Amino acid sequence: MNIWLVMLGMMLVTYGMRVLPLVAVRVKPSPAFEQLLSYVPPAVFAALIVPEFIIPHGKLEFGPALFAGAIGVLVAWRTQNMALTILAGIGAFVLLHALM
Amino acid sequence: MINNQSRDKESTTPSTVVRTEFSEIPQNDSLHQPESSIKSQLIQGAISSSPLWLGILPFGLAYALGAKTAGLGPLEIQGMSLLVYAGASQLIASGLFASATNGFSIILVTLIVNLRHVLFGTSLLSALGHLKWYQKALMAFGLTDEAYAVSVRKLLNKEAGPAFLVGAMVSLYLCWQVSTFLGIILGGVIPDPSTLGLQLVFPLSFSVMLMPYLKVWPGQAAALAAGVLAIAAKLALGGNWYILIGAVGGTFVGFMVGKKSEI
Repeated sequence: MNIWLVMLGMMLVTYGMRVLPLVAVRVKPSPAFEQLLSYVPPAVFAALIVPEFIIPHGKLEFGPALFAGAIGVLVAWRTQNMALTILAGIGAFVLLHALM
Repeated sequence: MINNQSRDKESTTPSTVVRTEFSEIPQNDSLHQPESSIKSQLIQGAISSSPLWLGILPFGLAYALGAKTAGLGPLEIQGMSLLVYAGASQLIASGLFASATNGFSIILVTLIVNLRHVLFGTSLLSALGHLKWYQKALMAFGLTDEAYAVSVRKLLNKEAGPAFLVGAMVSLYLCWQVSTFLGIILGGVIPDPSTLGLQLVFPLSFSVMLMPYLKVWPGQAAALAAGVLAIAAKLALGGNWYILIGAVGGTFVGFMVGKKSEI
């Protein structure tokens, strides 16, 4: 098996997913479709975030990740500050990880 | 390619702005600004994405280590970062290379893991649709989770132009390459980043980006449905389908709730 050939295939499918909607869509999205698309960001973020905190290793886990997530989300909500949120979340994780 | 020109003409006419729940009154029309502001937007995009370096660094190190363990050479490890440029699928592929899975399966898994990127391009259409095809083709290469996350709100609210996204992309791409390179050089001397919780940098930073969307009920519904669906899908299916399932499901729920609250 040629690794470079496989990597080329990986590149093509990845790039394909990224480029297809941008260059292939030739008509202006309808207002209803744009309305639909406006809900993509919150949905994508939630789908990326929630499992990382609740299912860090493949099963439901009430551990440091969830604690860090709860603290992080609280700080994110109150401050909307990226650096503070990361610091608080990681800090909470390290603290609980050390205690456990 | 023939209809490119007609498209370009179309896009110069002012388009009707669709007011969505999340759109705010645009501060300025960043698409028609002088060169200097393009430069400042590039820099702004790079700066805005810098907190994510903290998450990319351990991720890149972990990938390089995993790939090394799987028997890939330094050139192949860096080559995959340069060409494929998709963190999660590179990490997964390394594991599959180690277990000598056939190449076709590795490509198929990569396709599935990155299927969600279709949503990113589609969601950014109204902000990038007017660009020339080769500009879009070039930008698409860097359209990762992180680049999308940093830019989507600013771009769709017209607070920043495509240059902002390009700045973020370049910064994130360089960081990924440097992290991979460091992983190749440092080898096994670095501690396991998961004990430091650095894998949580991405979800933590994404939660900051989620907050503005939670001000209205349809946005809350979209996020709630996406989170619940993602949990269910991850528990039931394992693997990486959960991101796509949660994102698509949440989008539709948000849309339905938004429609209902209009009436």
